[in-house]
Amino acid sequence: MQSVKTKKGLAALWLLCLILVLAACSGGKGGDRSGAPAGGESGGSASPAAGKVTLTFWNGFTGPDRPAYEELVKKFNAEHPKIEVVMDITPWDSLLAKLPTSFVSGQGPDIAGFDSALIPKYAKANLILPLDELYGADGIDPGVLPEGLLKAMKYGNHYYGAPANFATLMMYYNKDLFKEAGLDPNKPPATWDEWKVAIEKTTKTNGSDKQYGFVLGDHSTIPVWPILMWGGGADFVSEDGTKATLDTPEFKSALEFWTDLIANKGASPTNLTGAESDKLFSTGKAAMTITGPWMTSGFTEAGLNYDVAPVPAGPKGSFTLANSVALVAGKDTKHKAEVLEFMKFWNSKASQEYLSVRSGFPPSRLDLEGSEKLKENPFVPKFASVAKSGKFYLQGVEDYTKVDTDIVTPLIQAVTNKQMTVEEAIKTYQPMLQNALDGRK
Amino acid sequence: MATLTSRNSRKKSLERQGRTATFFLFPSITALALFVFWPIADSLWLSFHHWSLLDPEHAFAGLDNYSSLVKDPLFWKDVRQTAVYTVFVVPLSIALALLLALLCNEKLKGLAFFKAVYFLPVVSSFAIIAIVWSFLMDPDIGLLSYYFKQIGLSSGEWLRSTTWAMPAVILVAVWKNVGFNMVILLAGLQGIPASLYEAAKLDGAGMFGRFRSVTLPMLRHTLLFVLITSITASFQVFDQVYVMTRGGPLHSTETIVYYIYHQGFELLDMGYASSAAWILFAAVFAITIVQLKLFRYDQTD
Repeated sequence: MQSVKTKKGLAALWLLCLILVLAACSGGKGGDRSGAPAGGESGGSASPAAGKVTLTFWNGFTGPDRPAYEELVKKFNAEHPKIEVVMDITPWDSLLAKLPTSFVSGQGPDIAGFDSALIPKYAKANLILPLDELYGADGIDPGVLPEGLLKAMKYGNHYYGAPANFATLMMYYNKDLFKEAGLDPNKPPATWDEWKVAIEKTTKTNGSDKQYGFVLGDHSTIPVWPILMWGGGADFVSEDGTKATLDTPEFKSALEFWTDLIANKGASPTNLTGAESDKLFSTGKAAMTITGPWMTSGFTEAGLNYDVAPVPAGPKGSFTLANSVALVAGKDTKHKAEVLEFMKFWNSKASQEYLSVRSGFPPSRLDLEGSEKLKENPFVPKFASVAKSGKFYLQGVEDYTKVDTDIVTPLIQAVTNKQMTVEEAIKTYQPMLQNALDGRK
Repeated sequence: MATLTSRNSRKKSLERQGRTATFFLFPSITALALFVFWPIADSLWLSFHHWSLLDPEHAFAGLDNYSSLVKDPLFWKDVRQTAVYTVFVVPLSIALALLLALLCNEKLKGLAFFKAVYFLPVVSSFAIIAIVWSFLMDPDIGLLSYYFKQIGLSSGEWLRSTTWAMPAVILVAVWKNVGFNMVILLAGLQGIPASLYEAAKLDGAGMFGRFRSVTLPMLRHTLLFVLITSITASFQVFDQVYVMTRGGPLHSTETIVYYIYHQGFELLDMGYASSAAWILFAAVFAITIVQLKLFRYDQTD
């Protein structure tokens, strides 16, 4: 008698547990979609009013510029009562890890923000929608965006993204270290020759207190080496991203010039991440570095006496790196018109001014050059002034991650660690790069 | 009559216990099956296909993934480096742990404090440890380099050098694992009856003699356990490499699991990454079998 009762009781208990587990799992998934709006949105308006459209927006804006983006989204929601955009912010590497699987399983967001270099990959796999109708008289005027930026939003002949932000890189230099080395702190180098002299004068390699003339990262960083190659008239890939161009004489001489300064003359430690090179500059151990507008507040807080200048012009011209996080429309969205409305708003004059001043980034538009509002942040006009010479790295390359991590970085590290000569490295990596561009393993 | 009933009732009670046990096991087995066993089996299926997360269709590839894997020099470099890592971390962490366990086994005051201190790295998050050690070992602004310079040595390049990055990672790994092995060996030591030591002393064995003839043999099963877990864990090293060096500089600290992660989650080629995962599984399985046979695990003393 007892055994039958306990058996029934056990079965009931087990069934209850199973039900609870299943309820918790599906409840969690549902809650994830509608609840937990990031960035101080109005307390969880989970049930949209009649006719109101809710758009999910995933991005990785976790940096010091985060409040600027959150404010802009709030403004949009206030000015568009029928649309509500809900942001979900996670660090970039988590975001990029969950985005493909989310799209593939049909759970992707309406809007996503990620580096424009990834547009080819997502567009090719049809995970994001073409946005040709956004660019025109009704939407964003293509004429107001820098040419490089416009190209970065395309894949093939169609537009797939709208700029979320636009960064250019400039040379930061430490005025105190310049003075110590006998250089004029108000006349930063403007050509490679002057730059070489300045680097050699500010580099101290012996003794226990090393000082570096010019520090740069070669992995986990905003790319700086491409700028050094462009100045010398070289590039890693052709304009359309289909041919490897390591075997040009310009590439060889540019790589030799910089390897000599960095590996042989000790201008910079090798194998640094971007964060490490920023750290060396902010602790006063480096005289110069190249990075984007996001570092200004950090360097100012560190009490450095510094300024920014355009990257010195190489023998083949003055170039810098441009970088942009792009807004894209997820393939699962049911409200494409509203998504385009959001993208248009984001790139309007008023929004760009607002965003620029608060984040320190230059605006995506070229027609704000004389704007008084922008001058509130003294660095913005400086970074905006080099927008026209900004090129995008690995433009149009479909497998950006593989090329950058598995080929370009080891190539640079092989020569700066003196494991290969420049010739050997070019011979080894040129075929590997061509294979990757052709989509072969 | 009596024996027949008691045998029957024993059988019935065992059946009942069996059924109760099944009920209790059901939820855990279901969860394990759903989230562990099925994905493992599925990954074997993936490894025979060209399965990129971004492709709409996945073609059957036969053994293509495996053959590309075997032809990739980077994969073999990672295998070599994982082996080097294991060869250094396992003996070092076990020997050091044994030493610490022997010391902590003494009847002295305040040993509980030391046991806690040695175990602390084990329960600390690997990501945080890796970050802290990276700071300490920074050649320009790190504390370690500062002290080196104070005593007149030049600071090494540590994590930035292709030669010294792996030793640095090994050092941090040993530091982290020693406590875990020590605690297990300590438990093993405490299971050795004191009478054996007394008998050895009576036979005239000195400290080393007692260690060789009493401690080591009696610790055989514990040492086997520690060896197997250490080797299995070493083959799967990933956390510290990912956070401290990202496999660099120039792939010098890359390991097999890092390769799998990079191929599967960064380059999104799940089929290829799965094949590497299965090769790793086969290797660890084979090594474990060898160890078990070597240590005669199924025989008791």
